[in-house]
Amino acid sequence: MIAETDTKVGSEPIVGRRNGQGAPSPLRAAVSRLRWALPYLPILPALIALLVMLGYPVLLVILISFQKFGFAELIQHKTTYIGITNYIQILRDPFFLAVVVRTVLFTLSVVGLTVVLGTLVALLMDRLGGRMRLLLSIGMILAWATPIVASTVIFQWLFDSKLGVINWLLTRIGLFGDFTNYSWFTTGFSTFAIITLLIVWQAIPFVAFSLYAGILSIPRELYETARVDGADEWTMFRHITLPILAPLFMILVFLSAIWDFKVFTQVYAMRQGGPAGQTVTLSLYAYIQGISQSQFGRAAAASVIMVLLLLIVLVPYIRRLLRTLET
Amino acid sequence: MRARIARRVAVNLAALVAFVLFAFPVYWMMSTAFKQGSDIQSYTPKFIPWPPTLENFVTAVTRENFGDYARNSLVVTLTTVALALVVGLLAAYAVARARFRGRKGFLLLVVIAQMAPFEALLIPMFLVLRGLHLLNQLPALVITYFIFTLPFTIWSLRGFIAGIPVELEEAAMVDGASRAQAFFKVVLPLLGPGLVATSIFGFITAWNEFLFAYTVMRDNANYTLPVWLVSFQTAFGTDWGGTMAASTLFTLPVLIFFLIIQNRMVGGVTAGAVKG
Amino acid sequence: MIGKRALAFASVVMLSLAACSGGSSASPSGSSGASQSAQGKVLTVWLMNGSAPTTLVTDLNTEFRKSHPGAVVHYQVQQWDGIVDKLVGALSSDDPPDVIEMGNTQTAKFAQSGALQDLTDKRADLGGGTSADSSSADETWLGGLNDSSIWDGKLFAVPFYAGNRVMIYNKDQFAKAGLDPATITSKDKLIAAAKKLQTTYSSVADYSGLYIPGQNWYALMGFIWDEGGAIATNDGGTWKGALETPEAQAGIQDYVDYYKAGSTGPKDNDEQHPEQATVIANGKAGMMIGNLWEIGTAETRNPAIIGKLGVFPIPSHTDGKTATVFLGGSNLGIPAGSKNQSLAYDWVKLMAGEKYQQLMIAAGNVPNSKSLSTSATADNANLKVEAEAAANGSKVTPQDPRWASVESGANPLKDMMTKILTGQASVADAAKAADDEIASRMNTPL
Repeated sequence: MIAETDTKVGSEPIVGRRNGQGAPSPLRAAVSRLRWALPYLPILPALIALLVMLGYPVLLVILISFQKFGFAELIQHKTTYIGITNYIQILRDPFFLAVVVRTVLFTLSVVGLTVVLGTLVALLMDRLGGRMRLLLSIGMILAWATPIVASTVIFQWLFDSKLGVINWLLTRIGLFGDFTNYSWFTTGFSTFAIITLLIVWQAIPFVAFSLYAGILSIPRELYETARVDGADEWTMFRHITLPILAPLFMILVFLSAIWDFKVFTQVYAMRQGGPAGQTVTLSLYAYIQGISQSQFGRAAAASVIMVLLLLIVLVPYIRRLLRTLET
Repeated sequence: MRARIARRVAVNLAALVAFVLFAFPVYWMMSTAFKQGSDIQSYTPKFIPWPPTLENFVTAVTRENFGDYARNSLVVTLTTVALALVVGLLAAYAVARARFRGRKGFLLLVVIAQMAPFEALLIPMFLVLRGLHLLNQLPALVITYFIFTLPFTIWSLRGFIAGIPVELEEAAMVDGASRAQAFFKVVLPLLGPGLVATSIFGFITAWNEFLFAYTVMRDNANYTLPVWLVSFQTAFGTDWGGTMAASTLFTLPVLIFFLIIQNRMVGGVTAGAVKG
Repeated sequence: MIGKRALAFASVVMLSLAACSGGSSASPSGSSGASQSAQGKVLTVWLMNGSAPTTLVTDLNTEFRKSHPGAVVHYQVQQWDGIVDKLVGALSSDDPPDVIEMGNTQTAKFAQSGALQDLTDKRADLGGGTSADSSSADETWLGGLNDSSIWDGKLFAVPFYAGNRVMIYNKDQFAKAGLDPATITSKDKLIAAAKKLQTTYSSVADYSGLYIPGQNWYALMGFIWDEGGAIATNDGGTWKGALETPEAQAGIQDYVDYYKAGSTGPKDNDEQHPEQATVIANGKAGMMIGNLWEIGTAETRNPAIIGKLGVFPIPSHTDGKTATVFLGGSNLGIPAGSKNQSLAYDWVKLMAGEKYQQLMIAAGNVPNSKSLSTSATADNANLKVEAEAAANGSKVTPQDPRWASVESGANPLKDMMTKILTGQASVADAAKAADDEIASRMNTPL
């Protein structure tokens, strides 16, 4: 924990009523003696909430991961420690390794698509007139605002094999062959493709809006000068836009990576990890081990492993973030 | 000149295509909701629901316990947002304005808390709530969603408060206001948009959440709308009309909320159109 | 005697229950469920979709309330999909429901974990006779159900009803196609009949002569057993999946052949997605493999089909025999954590007793007792077909607490069928993968 001792003594009193009188009353004296505690009071509720309601469950997860914790233990409030058996069992399970690889690949593709497409949209927004930009923004907000349970259901309907409109459109376009009655959910790859499409569709707006706000802060003269010197769009992007927005890009990439690695609801709601477990990501694996198989000890161990993997991305992100706090 | 026009057309075309890609699924949801059963079941999709019908909405709303689910969702969501804003605002203000030992540590805690994979905490939270005898009670969900929302709320509000120049408060205090008064009179009004923007996250988290609602609650009357929506898939087979109507109803509050507050954000975005 | 206050409270609750639209469940608002159970006694009963008809339960509850004045019955119907997960959560809470229904394949899981009340010394009182041995004449419950309710020598559940699948067919469509169900006595004849229906109704969009979805694993097990195969075997304490054996693969192939006879059912979903009763109710299927209660469901979905659906036994692959069927059924349990143990007991005793078992028979279920089963079939023709099929050959899934985890989440048998039907794997490879999965789930230490 990095706790910086501030040499700045400029902590203004949070409550300092100047009553214009001379010596403060005994009560006031007591209060002013306790003034050091004043910054801590407002953060107290939040601190307690975080430590108790978040910290304690996190501790429990770690403890449970070292226990044999099944349905019987849950009912009977039993506690049986078995050391690292859960971890060994999981790491030995070839399915688990496949799940990890799959989760990483999935995260990379979702993040990649989101950031690249989000950048393109942001660049597009920069070149649009006010009205068209408003139209595009509204479209993006519609996508962004749709609750994920609803959007998952919508995509299932869009890609329904018999009556889905996507199949009809694709068949009409003719370029891709006949898609009548094509079932999108029979292979892991195509199911994942749809899940990816769903998540990217809803994730682009945030990236696009953030990057656009960033682009607005870039002085136009830089582009004018470059254009006069004969630079084309791509060069300007690489040498002006990208370097200036690098910190923003980094943060967006990190946030997306963390969130997409953890994502559960859309993946689960689409096909519950099917077909045949081919769309099970780490978060689903933990859930299935837990609730479906009543192997809560194993589920906890899987969750711990997931967080450890997440830390690989987390640590540099937090470092960066804390650095921005210095300012 | 020609190149200019061509470029303009190309860019606008791209924007149009992008708009369609973003908006179409939402449009499809709503249009299906208003379509008659026969039109939904036909192999050639109809792009405009004509003649429209409300029967799907009636089906969705008259499903057992719909009123309970809607009420539960609303109560839980609004309480969560309110609680998170209050607790979060206190902490955010202290962190933004005061320097104290452990400030950085607290912020680190907040950042780390944001990263927690909440689904992984299902069983421990279940155990904690069981110990508190809160299972199957709505406060259980409020507590859960509150703790999910709090870290981001603190972080976001801190950013907004930091964006308000501290000189404004100091000026007020020079004029004789206490810090608390300065806060209410100066900071809070300016924080309006920030509060609203921050509350979106809590609103969406609580409104959307499925896993905990499904596991912690038990009686059919105590579930929330996400559980209702997912149950459409299982019990009803393939009543797409009803499902889309249910989705539309479920989306509407969020959409309205978003459209209202995003007015500000979009306003900020389009304001940039006026380039010097 | 119940105090005046409790009586007044109970009457207020009952009045408001009566005022509610005639749905079968009372709905206390949000968080007041717990406080109600502290005052007037509220019995929470969970039964499954399709088990007992609403009228039956309503009558039973009325009679129960008469004999237990002041008590309120809070009755909820649950869906089969995901029920094991839901029960895990409910039974782990500090306020579980008071009466639950569990499939006979799932009961062992709850019995073994200590989640259910031990009813061993109440056997006779509940109607199970004096012996726990299903082969003995002193054991009066149906053997299969009885066995599924016992764990470690103790009785943890009360048999509720049994049921097995039959062929449900559309009489009008059969007549038009010139088919007589009595002549369909083998697999080949069944496929021929399906194809005949297909041609007769070729103009109807989305029509299946024999409607069978890709993932009806109950029917699949029947075919596997019919060919002499097994699902899983226990070799000295270690479970092994048995789907790879030639016999089991033959059964899987039978299923594939039936599907390929022209079914428009989904390759990657089961008989409830879409609900096959709706399919046949809308005239889109000549026949389907289903339970008797699905006839009732079909008639609710489309009143035009009332009286038009008949049954005949699922034919074996050998001519002249009926196929072995999966003997399904449910048991009633009282969670150990229930706050109303004695009320729950009385309710269960009432439902398992002769009066309501007779009503279950009338609704098309095989009752829980041996004697009633024999007499039941005399009046009900459909039930007779069903019971005879079961008598000719029926089996159950492995009686092990860990079997429930094979069924819940992603069911390997379902996945196996989808892989085969979509051409992603051969029968042998898919069966092997399923066996591995079954073994891994069933060999977790208890």
